[in-house]
Amino acid sequence: MEDALLTGIFLVTLFFLLGSGLWVGLSLVGVALIGMELFTSRPVGDAMATTIWSATSSWTLTALPLFIWMGDILFRTRLSEDLFRGLAPWMTALPGRLLHTNIVGCAVFAAVSGSSAATLATVGKMSIPELRRRKYPETMIIGTLAGAGTLGLLIPPSIIMIVYGVTVNESIAQLFMAGILPGIMLAGLFMGYIGIRALLQPDLMPDKGDPMNFIGKIKRSVYLLPVVGLILAVLGSIYFGIATATEAAVLGVIGALLLSLVQGSLNWDNFVESLLGATRTSCMIALILAGAHFLTLAMGFTGLPRHLAEFIGSLQLSPLMLIVALTVFYIVLGCFLDGISSVVLTMAVVEPMIRQAGIDIVWFGIFLVIVVEMAQITPPVGFNLFVLQGMTDHDMGYIARAAIPMFLVMVVAVGLIVAFPELVLFLPETMRQGPG
Amino acid sequence: MIRRCLDGLYLGAGMLAALFMVSIGVLIVTSVIARLFGSYVPGLNQYAGYAMAASSFLALAYTFRAGGHIRVALVLSRLEGRTRWLAELWCLGVGAFLAGYVARFSIKMVQVSHMLGDVSEGVDATPLWIPQLGMAIGSTIFTIALLDRLVAVARGAPIEKIGGEPAAVE
Repeated sequence: MEDALLTGIFLVTLFFLLGSGLWVGLSLVGVALIGMELFTSRPVGDAMATTIWSATSSWTLTALPLFIWMGDILFRTRLSEDLFRGLAPWMTALPGRLLHTNIVGCAVFAAVSGSSAATLATVGKMSIPELRRRKYPETMIIGTLAGAGTLGLLIPPSIIMIVYGVTVNESIAQLFMAGILPGIMLAGLFMGYIGIRALLQPDLMPDKGDPMNFIGKIKRSVYLLPVVGLILAVLGSIYFGIATATEAAVLGVIGALLLSLVQGSLNWDNFVESLLGATRTSCMIALILAGAHFLTLAMGFTGLPRHLAEFIGSLQLSPLMLIVALTVFYIVLGCFLDGISSVVLTMAVVEPMIRQAGIDIVWFGIFLVIVVEMAQITPPVGFNLFVLQGMTDHDMGYIARAAIPMFLVMVVAVGLIVAFPELVLFLPETMRQGPG
Repeated sequence: MIRRCLDGLYLGAGMLAALFMVSIGVLIVTSVIARLFGSYVPGLNQYAGYAMAASSFLALAYTFRAGGHIRVALVLSRLEGRTRWLAELWCLGVGAFLAGYVARFSIKMVQVSHMLGDVSEGVDATPLWIPQLGMAIGSTIFTIALLDRLVAVARGAPIEKIGGEPAAVE
């Protein structure tokens, strides 16, 4: 009974503060404060200060600003043009032709950027006008882009995986490795969908452009070499245990700076802008994390997460049922909250639950990222929809409808990783231990 | 005059935060190079963590001014006129109170660490009050920025539309 009351108070306060428009990080501080004042006799303020201090000064967290910065630098380069020019010649042979540049372009940029909005914006900047000019169907252009942009979160580096890793105290390197195969698989599924649509409705697609010979294709692909090199260096150094996630991030920042220097797109203004932009983004996330850690502490004192975990345990749900329930839960939550907030907000309660159910924490991280990605393309709060709205002038409903097939493809992806957990766990299990 | 001082304060703290972010990179490069040469510089990891905390907190006010902190716009975006104004005052008031609460106890933490001579548990054995200063100063400036904005909105300053930058991480 007391638990029900507690849960009720936490939830009502939380929804009220968040819903009233108070900044997410501060809302979490507020809920934790009220919870602790009401239900414990501990000195709240001191416990809060030390918790926030140890959460924000942790070494693991340093990967966050660095990967954000890396993505920010590359976002300001000519990479979007290079991706399109380098990829397009190879895609013409596939059914659905240049639509595949959306998917592969996003997958490649996702491997240097931790954000799906940045991925979307970078690839879309070039591919939307190019595909429109060639008369590809508008819904397909928008829909595939909305779906593929979400690869930014799944394919490492990934900001949300760092946040998840820090929250549940799991190795970020392992999480990154775990995201690679599911990311490639999801990209493959998206491409499969485009291919099938193109085969079923051939009149939907425009005529083939000028064919290009093999040498020409190779010449164009040269544009892709720097970014592919950067991806291999960053992810390879993690996989082979040469670098920790943070060290790989520094490598990424240096590589990104070199790349934009060689391209000639790096100047002092650009550099400062990317640095300040990354500072703001990482500060925004740090505030949410600080609030979330305090909330976790407060909830821990009340014993609520443990009781909920025991309650769920007593229901004798199979892990599969639990996963289905959580999928629905996160998609609904994603209608109101952004991905990072939904993850940090729920992990205090969900983590004991899944540990109790014997679900692998790394696997769950990947599952969570895919489900949160699905929430990115569902209205009313879906950042990918916002970004595309800004880029295309279509209204949100149109974009959301165009993205529905991709949403379904992602449901299939979740089904696949549930059925074959090895897809997620193979790389983390075979990777070499990092240096520290 | 006060306006310029405050804006300078936020921007200055933001710049300092950016420098701390760069310093994380420099610290890590140093430790990697040291490792390549088979030596080990103690405490670099801890310093990187301190720089992370300093960067996060010092940037709070600056990020706030740039509209970088994320909030749920579902209700706010449907309000107009006086109700929107009142809602903004509510957010800023509660926000300033909570930020002030964090600032107050961060300052107390620094004082206690200083008094007890707390040192880091790591090999660096840094007196903890020094890195903790960043958190205390940053959260104080954040509180000032929220109060500043509260007064401005109460006096009728225009309220910005929500949206924009947070999208950059999702």
